[in-house]
Amino acid sequence: MIFDLFDNDYDEDGFRTCNVTGMSIHRSVENPVKVFGLTAVVALVVGGFFAIGVALTRWEFVGLLGPEEFYRWLSLHAWNLLIFWMVFLEIAILYVGGPMVLGRRLPIPKIAKVGWGTMVTGALVINYAIWTTEAPNQAPLLTSYAPLPSSPYFYAGAIIFILGSVVAALPFFVSLWQEKSWGEGGSLPLVTFGAFVTSIIAVEALLGGLAVMVYAFLWRIEILESIDAAVYRQVFWIIGHGTQQINLVAMVTVWYFLTHIVGGAEVVSEKVSRTAFVLYIFFINLGAAHHLLSDPVVSVSWRIWNASYAFYGATLASLIHAFAIPAGIEAGRRRRGKGGGLFGWLTNAPWKNPVFSATIFSIILFGFVGGITGVVMGQVQLNMTWVRTLATVGHFHGTVALGTTIAFMGLVYFVIRTMFMREFRFGRLASLQPYLYAATMTAATLMLMYIGLLYGVPRRIHSVVRDIPGTDFSLSAAEPLMMIFGVFALLAIISGAAFVVVALASVLFGEKKVPGSDLVPDGGVDFESDEPVHKFDMRGTFVITLIFLGAFIVVYIANWYLLSQLWSIGP
Amino acid sequence: MGSPIKPPDEDWWDVPVNRRESIWLGLSVAWSMILFGWMSLWTRIGDQNPIGETYDVSTEEYQEKVESYREEAETLDGSIVPPSDDIYVAGIRFQWRGLPVVVETGKTYKFHISSYDVQHGFSIRPEDVLSQHTNLLALPGYEWVIEMEFDEPGTYHVICNEFCGVGHSSMHGVIEVRDEVNV
Repeated sequence: MIFDLFDNDYDEDGFRTCNVTGMSIHRSVENPVKVFGLTAVVALVVGGFFAIGVALTRWEFVGLLGPEEFYRWLSLHAWNLLIFWMVFLEIAILYVGGPMVLGRRLPIPKIAKVGWGTMVTGALVINYAIWTTEAPNQAPLLTSYAPLPSSPYFYAGAIIFILGSVVAALPFFVSLWQEKSWGEGGSLPLVTFGAFVTSIIAVEALLGGLAVMVYAFLWRIEILESIDAAVYRQVFWIIGHGTQQINLVAMVTVWYFLTHIVGGAEVVSEKVSRTAFVLYIFFINLGAAHHLLSDPVVSVSWRIWNASYAFYGATLASLIHAFAIPAGIEAGRRRRGKGGGLFGWLTNAPWKNPVFSATIFSIILFGFVGGITGVVMGQVQLNMTWVRTLATVGHFHGTVALGTTIAFMGLVYFVIRTMFMREFRFGRLASLQPYLYAATMTAATLMLMYIGLLYGVPRRIHSVVRDIPGTDFSLSAAEPLMMIFGVFALLAIISGAAFVVVALASVLFGEKKVPGSDLVPDGGVDFESDEPVHKFDMRGTFVITLIFLGAFIVVYIANWYLLSQLWSIGP
Repeated sequence: MGSPIKPPDEDWWDVPVNRRESIWLGLSVAWSMILFGWMSLWTRIGDQNPIGETYDVSTEEYQEKVESYREEAETLDGSIVPPSDDIYVAGIRFQWRGLPVVVETGKTYKFHISSYDVQHGFSIRPEDVLSQHTNLLALPGYEWVIEMEFDEPGTYHVICNEFCGVGHSSMHGVIEVRDEVNV
């Protein structure tokens, strides 16, 4: 059965034509995509499991774990979800966006295998290091707080994983080089371009990560005598936040890809969308500075320049995609005669298809929840009220869980149907799952933000709402919201588990079947019409984006009001 | 023809942009400028800015500073009364050296924040209004001098909000703000 997973109907050269996307797909690309995808799902299972202990401990009403276990579980939750689930799938996205979209074989396939093996080794070493943490070592959480020592195996595992990721990305770069050398010339498809931008940002992040982990490792094995906490923080966040920027750009690329294939979206302006991607290359990694805004050491101008991604260059890029992607759906569907009033193009879309619904939820929730809060908390002064509180955790569950994870769930569903060629098991649950996860995770995320912002409840802490050991003072006013958070966090974990059940049951026991027209938008993926796409009406999208901007402004003003209530801080 | 998985037409740069998309671009640029402008302006006109000089300091030097400050200071109801407008605080697992401290409303103090061992989060909130809280970082090797002036009397609680080890959640201190401090 296992080998059956990797056996589609290829011609004698190893190619097949996908009857959903029309892409010419070679076996050497498709199989690694499946392997990296499945590995990512395994990481999701592990990280999701550890979410149970994290949520049930922070929900102090239950208080499941003691402090030592809690920090251990929190570390495993963070590394498996924020890093392993994401990065394994991102390598798959590079292979899809590069050689698969370009209709090429995967170059240097052995290197892909070495990369995968190295990444898996690194991931196992990190999991082992965290699980076996003993004093004087402390659980690293995501960050590892040098000079607080983590297990030397942790730093070593991180180095191995980072190197493995770079190696695994090499075939992607080679495929682009081949395309440019031997291809027909001209510009890359937008999805390939997006994947290329993702990879550039990834290499920057990974090099920073390599530098900081080697530095910390050498200190931990006592080759270096001491470690500078400020230097460690600054270099760590090149990868610490950089990996999340990889998630963002990969997710945006997946949005363009999936809205096109299952929703009939078209690129309304190559010029505008590509410019937005280029803005990401220049500016998005400055976002790493958001972690240092309430730190000593860095200067005022450094704070303002970086906090603003240089005059909000990266925010502008995201605002552009926020219009371009829904506008692509609107124009594409109107072109197919699926318009109908202001929002008819949206309401008559294939909402029962989890690939579609997951993608749309990801777009909306990332924007409204993760995106707005990211810009708000990234302002130099507002950062003082957000940083190191549960509000920050709310922010990145808005980006990484509501945004990237839901998009990636949609992508995995897509891979199951079109590459594993399996019908969904538990089909109704598959249709419902994106709704359940989006709703419950949104509720949990909003609660985290309120709890952090309105009650100042810290993140990365075992207990503080019911009990701060050694004092009568506690943040118990946050308890009612914490009760709501606890319930919805559990429901979100269950909804995430539903995804895993559907995905694994479909891959292992689903009926093998070439995907049918139910995945394709009306009129087919390549709908021909004489009218250019930019001439179609985009008024529905315009209204949605105006609502978005209105919400942004309201949240912005509310946050500044809260800040202005504080006593005087600074000159 | 508008497909993101096919190479675009050769003249893709010259294809016109939809009018509504152009308007949105304009709005986006304007909003980006407002975000930047307001944040910059607040550093000049605002009362809350995480800004202050940082000095390199060894742990031993900082310990000496804190201890001589403590020796010089008098105490009131068990709290340190700062002898001048300088207040020294150091995080050390799992307590705040230099707290509790008692300060006066309306007087500007220079908080010197550092750590004897690892990173700590210096997070302050008044007991009765939890939505007012601020979060600054204490780093070993660096002395951050940041001014603060409290306008409302009350008990302000300091907790650590950067992970510093298994006992992290027990790290608590107090800043007592009074209208008048008479030793």
